[in-house]
Order: sequence, then structure tokens, then C-alpha cells
Amino acid sequence: MAVRAQFENSNEVGVFATLTNSYALVAIGGSENFYSVFEAELADVIPVVHTTIAGTRIIGRLTAGNRNGLLLPTSTTDQELQHLRNSLPEKVKIQRIEERLSALGNVICCNDHVALVHPDIERETEELIADVLGVEVFRQTIAENVLTGSYCALSNQGGIVHPQTSIKDQDELSSLLQVPLVAGSVNRGSAVVGAGMVVNDWMAVTGLDTTATELSVVESVFRLGEGQAPSNVQGALKDSLVESFY
Amino acid sequence: MAAPPPPSIPPAQTDDILKRPLYAFDIPKELLKSLIVKGSGQDIAPISEPTEDEKLKELLKEPDPTSGMSCTVCGVKSTTVQEQRSHARSDVHRFNMKRKIRKEPPVSEIEFEKMIEALDESLSGSESSSTEDEQSSDPLATLLRKKAVLKAAEEEALENSPRKPRTPIIWMSSPLLPESTYVGVYRALLPDSTDESEVTQVLPTMQTQTTTALPTASDPHIFLCMIGGGHFAAMIVSLIPKVVKRSGIVEREAVVLAHKTFHRYTTRRKQGGSQSANDNSKGTAHSAGSSLRRYNEAALTADIRELLENWREMLDSSSLLFVRATGTSNRKTLFGGDNPVIRSTDKRIRGFPFTTRRATQSELMRCFVEVTRLKVSKIDETAIAAPIVATSSSPAPKAPVVKPKPSKEETLKLQHTTTLNTLLRRSKAPAIITFLNSNKLPFTYYLTPTNHHTPTLLHLAASQSHPTIVLALLTKAPDGNKEPADPTVKNSAGKTPYDLAGDRATREIFRVARQELGEDRFDWESLGVGSPISRKEYDEATERDKSAKDAGEKERREKETARLRSMPDASGGSSGAGKGGKSLAEVLGTNAATNAREEETKGLSEEAKRRLERERRARAAEERMKRLAGK
Repeated sequence: MAVRAQFENSNEVGVFATLTNSYALVAIGGSENFYSVFEAELADVIPVVHTTIAGTRIIGRLTAGNRNGLLLPTSTTDQELQHLRNSLPEKVKIQRIEERLSALGNVICCNDHVALVHPDIERETEELIADVLGVEVFRQTIAENVLTGSYCALSNQGGIVHPQTSIKDQDELSSLLQVPLVAGSVNRGSAVVGAGMVVNDWMAVTGLDTTATELSVVESVFRLGEGQAPSNVQGALKDSLVESFY
Repeated sequence: MAAPPPPSIPPAQTDDILKRPLYAFDIPKELLKSLIVKGSGQDIAPISEPTEDEKLKELLKEPDPTSGMSCTVCGVKSTTVQEQRSHARSDVHRFNMKRKIRKEPPVSEIEFEKMIEALDESLSGSESSSTEDEQSSDPLATLLRKKAVLKAAEEEALENSPRKPRTPIIWMSSPLLPESTYVGVYRALLPDSTDESEVTQVLPTMQTQTTTALPTASDPHIFLCMIGGGHFAAMIVSLIPKVVKRSGIVEREAVVLAHKTFHRYTTRRKQGGSQSANDNSKGTAHSAGSSLRRYNEAALTADIRELLENWREMLDSSSLLFVRATGTSNRKTLFGGDNPVIRSTDKRIRGFPFTTRRATQSELMRCFVEVTRLKVSKIDETAIAAPIVATSSSPAPKAPVVKPKPSKEETLKLQHTTTLNTLLRRSKAPAIITFLNSNKLPFTYYLTPTNHHTPTLLHLAASQSHPTIVLALLTKAPDGNKEPADPTVKNSAGKTPYDLAGDRATREIFRVARQELGEDRFDWESLGVGSPISRKEYDEATERDKSAKDAGEKERREKETARLRSMPDASGGSSGAGKGGKSLAEVLGTNAATNAREEETKGLSEEAKRRLERERRARAAEERMKRLAGK
């Protein structure tokens, strides 16, 4: 299920939310519209938590997480940390990281198994990422960009990378990640796919400006359609069609 | 230098080259051929060459794009996913990734190993390095840092980007020149984007042939102009100098093809700045001066543009345009207009690479000579290297510059002076006498360290108004061998202790001493001491003084209390009675007392303050006892 949403007139959904397979973090906005999009889909499955990080609303860019854990920058206040500890499931490890590159959401892109990180990230941080998130960490660039978290949206099913990523790079990354990748855009041509959308294994939220084509690419690569994988959909459709024909 | 020197110059003549100023467009051929850019011998770039070759090779044998199991960063092909993943986590991949971000070619695993090894060697070699722990913990980071430094240095040597700070003068050496002598040429003279290393190739192409023929406008020439503060000077100078013979010496003379100067009153006197700038920032002024300046500015601009238009042909054929025009308005004057003769983007435009003065023709000429003359400088490389060694060893001998230790005698004297000073301050006359006697010190005691104002103890006692001590010093000398303190000793200003006496009581005490010591002991009259009085008289006089003073004080106090008593009524009346707290009088009184006390302690050391406080308390206690006893 891919839905469109807007956070206070901003299409950059990935800036104001973090979505994983075991929890969702949503920034505190002026209205509850943005929150209710998440709640409508996820409320009975995973906790949807209202929070700020370091008093800001750009929580999607400051945090990085997956089913196993959540990484927070040092600027996170104690109250926020306590609030998150109280709200998230117990098995989710929460860790504050001392890292010079403090916008963790911009420098880390991960699913439940692998993470692509900024090449300049510290060794200690790399180890923490591996421990807390339970992932294999690779220092990579995406289309010559060091901000892997900004230019890549990743789930366990697939991923979208910067529209100008070369085929060779896509192949290499997809081989590293062991998920299919596609070069694409969101929000009517925005290249910052990581910041423009959030995704987990059964839901994606993109900006309100996202075109139908973009959305269909998102649905297909993350296998969010009704019949799961796009090929399956077609197959199922074809089958039923064929059946009815004969 | 009409005729070129003979082809081979014996070494004895090499100095002759430098005897005459060298002209950048007419350098002696032998010198020109032998010029070597300073520091060019050190330029080596061993790393980049092979790696670029390798990169090319790698590009040629591009890995199969369908596999996806290659590393595009390192150009490594893996056969399994496991292999690829382990490669992606390896140090060499990390290193290459960072190199890629810096737009450097990747290194192979073997090269990387070598680099790390070299790093280890350098690490073990530098035992004293304080950052060793840090370095050994993450060799990769160290390597990256080191490479970055190397790269930066390399770039500095090779790259020729305009943003790099470049020296205005390129220095060259030659075997024909004496040891550690260098000739320099202004970079501004060379064509744009000339690299430092190419100077020796570029310079020969710039040389001109000197002729005795009349100069023409078709000769290679440069244009120089300066504009600023209402002054404008421009000049077109031929690069081929005229050769003239003056008293048998062949000399070069610059040939000015055209020149013009304009001077207009445009700047605001005293305030500074141009009229237009003032108008723009503060609005149009309406004074006569301002309109004058405004007119002159416009006229100057028109004059300059007309002149440049007239010179258009010569300007277009100029090989270089030296321009000094700071500020937007000045630049607009030169480069503005409908069809400007010079465009600000012109590649030939140069600034003067040195400070220039007011725009005049003579200044332009000076600048031309300065910029076209080869600079000669003697740089002693060994001397530059030497001070580093010297400074490293110099701190040691510098440190033990210690004051010569005071001798035992001196320390003793110092101690005595300190003690006497303390006793004096407390006005302890008997104690001073005992101290002097017991230490067998003369009564004419000279203080240590030597004091110019009060060289003796008597001087000090007099200047600080301690009459009892003065008297003691003068009269309490024991009958035996001891002399009394000499009141005729003068300080460096020629003052006797009597001259320094601070108050009347102290002066009077000298009269008492005169009485007691007798007329013939000292020449009292020349000292200025008044007629002798007896101790009794003195005491009476001081008593009188004191009682008069006391009476005065008492009167003052009474007056003051009366005044304060009357005040609370007034304040109580106005502000309404029944207000809690102290009355104004009390507050004033206590404040006055505290203020007075504070005034007393101001500027005293902490110890002195404490002593004062103790004394005050003791006095208060005595007062209380007295009062109790009185009751």
C-alpha cells in the first residue's frame, strides 16, 4: 500500500517521519493529518510515536532505524530518549550515537539486514550500527553522493536509488544488498528519494506531489500492490484472464 | 646593451651581468638560456603516473556489466556474493572510496599494502611522535590523512588554478649568476595561465630586438593606467627601448608612445570618498562644492572615455594592460560605457603587483620600470636553514639569565631595612632605638636598596611625620661611641630630613632636637630649623594644638548631630511616621562611618587591612573598658 501525504505543506515525508517494520516515528505537527495517515495504516500493528529529536521536527533526517533498533544523534534530549524508550517495543534497542555526522538519517540507509553508510562515518559508529541494528554495514556512495540515507529508500523487499545512478552501480549495490533496486524519483521528480518518502515492508508514504508513475514504480519495487509483487499481480491477473477466456 | 655579449662568458665576468639592471624583454642570451626556475628540481610526481595508466587499462578491460558482482570503485571483480561483500568491507575498498570522493584514481590491493607498510615504517621511525597511539589504532585513517597532505602538496606544485595564492614574482637561478643569487620576473608580465615551470620557455619568446630606429606604434607595447581620487594617468610604452649613448655609456631608455593625465577635483576634502559615493549613501547634497565635484566626476569620466577611444587602435594591439582602478565607480569609468575600449574580462588586464602612489605620469614610469626590470636577490639557503638549528638550541643558554645572588651582607641589610620600616610605620621609637643598638647599626642609617627620596632612616621618619622617631634618632644616641643621626645628610634632590618633614609637629621636633643637642652640634641655621624650644614647650604646643583640634572636632560633631537630629523629623514628616527600619540619620551616620572606614582601607594590602581592623577593635575595647571604669 503506497499512500501520499504531506507534512504541513511539505512533500518531504522522509524528513518528518521514520518508518520501520516495528515502529513509526512521526514529527509533532500543527495538525494531526500527517499522523493520521500513519495511524490509519499502522495503528493496530506497530506503535506510531509522536516525538521530536533535539526539539526539532526533522526526525526522519536525524534518526535511523530498523526492526531491531533505533539510532539517535547526541543532540537528543534525555526526555526525548525516555519518551521513546517508553513508547517503543522492548525488543527495539535504542542507542544515542556520538558521531560528527549527526544527521543519521542522511548518512545511514538500512533495512533489517544491511546498511549503506557514508564513507566518512567513524569506525565506532559503524560498529554501533552493526550491533544495534543487527545489520551488515557497507560504506558506499550512491551516484557519487556520500549521503546514502538521502538518496536511497530501502526496505527488505527492494529499494529506490537516486535517478542518476548508473546501471553498473545499481547492479553492484543490489548485489551487496541482495534486494532489487531501481533508479527513480519521488515527489514529481525529486532526486532525494530517501528524504522524500518512507517505506517499510507493507507500506510506503510519499509526498502528495508524487505522480502516478512514480507511485507505481514505488509500489512495484517495494512489492506493495494488492497481490504483492508486480510480476505476481500480472501473473494472477493473467491467470484469471486466461481462465475466463477459456 | 646594444651589442650582445660574446658567446662564452668567463666566470670572472658573471657578476657583470648584474651590474646593469636587467630588462625583462631584453635578457642577455646566455643568461636566458641558463635560467632554471627556483625549486623546480624538487618537483617529482611519482605516484600519479602509474595509477593513471592502470586506470586506463582497467577502463579498457571493463568487467562484465551483467554480473554486478564487481566493485566499480576499486575495479575489482568478485566471483561470489560473499567475496564481494568482504571486499566492500575491506580497508582497501574504504580507502579507494575516499579517493574516489576526492576524485583520485583508485589503488590496487598490492599498492595499498605497500602504502600501509611504508606507513608502518615511518611510524616506527618516529618514536617521539605524540600521536603515535592514535596513528597505530587506525592506520587507514592515518594513511588517508597522510595522502591528503601529500596530495595537497602535489597539487600546490602542479596545479595552476587562479584561486591558489601565487607569488607575484617567479624566481630563477642560473649557473652564470653568483652563488645563491636569483633573478625574478613579475608573473604579471607573462601570458595568462603560464605555469611557473614554463617560465624559462616563455621568456625567450618575449624577447625583443633593440634597434636604433625611431619607435613606431607597431612595436610591441603595453598600456598602463591608474585612476583614483580624481587623478588619472595613462601611458603606452613601447617594449623596445631606445638605445642612447650618454657620456660613453650605452643606456636603454623607455619609449613612451603616448601619455595623458587628467586631474579633477572630485573627492570630498577632509571627509574623503567621492561625491557620487556620498550621494548614493546619504542622498544628494546641495552645496556648491558638491555640485562642483559632481560636474568634475562626469567630466573626468567623459575625458577618460574620449582619450581611450582615441587610443583604441593602440590599446587593441597592446600586449598587456596594466590597470589600477579600485572601487566600482573607478572601474565603471574605465570599463563602462556603450562600447568600452577595454573590457573588464580582458585577458590582458593586469594589476600592479606592488603598491602604487597617486596617478601621475612619473608614477606610471616608475611602475613601468619596476615591472619590467628583473629583480635580483641574494638568498642564502644555508643561512635560512641555519637559524632553525640555532633557535632549537638557543633556549637553553637563554634560560639561565638569573640575577646575581645577593651577598649575605646585602640580604642582612635588606632584612634590617624591612624591620626598621615596619617599626617606623608603627611609630615605635623605643623599638627602633633598641634595634639599632642591638644590631650595632649607625643612627645615620642608610636604607637598602638605595632610596633617592629618603636615603636615610631620618629622612623617612621625617617625610612620614613620625616626630617621636625623629627626636629619638636625633637625641637618643647612647653616650658612648654612637653618633646621633645626621640631619645634614641630603637626598639626591638636595633635601635634608627637615625639608621633608610632613607636618608642623615634625618640624617643631627638630627645634626640640636643636635645644637638646646644642647649637654647635649641627649647623641648624643652614638647615632651616627654627629657634630651639624645650621639650616641655613642644609638648605644651602640641597639647594646645591637640585641644584646639579636639575642640574644633567636638564643635563639628555637635553641629553634625544637631543637623542629623533635625533631619529625621523632616523626613518623618514627609514620608509619614511609623515606618519600620532605621531612621535616615542612623543610615547616614553608619554609612558615613563605613565610608570613612572604607576610605581608610582603600589601597592597602590584605594584611594591612587586617592589622588596621585589629587595631580598630582594640581601640573600641579600650574605649569600652574606660567607659566601664568611669562608671
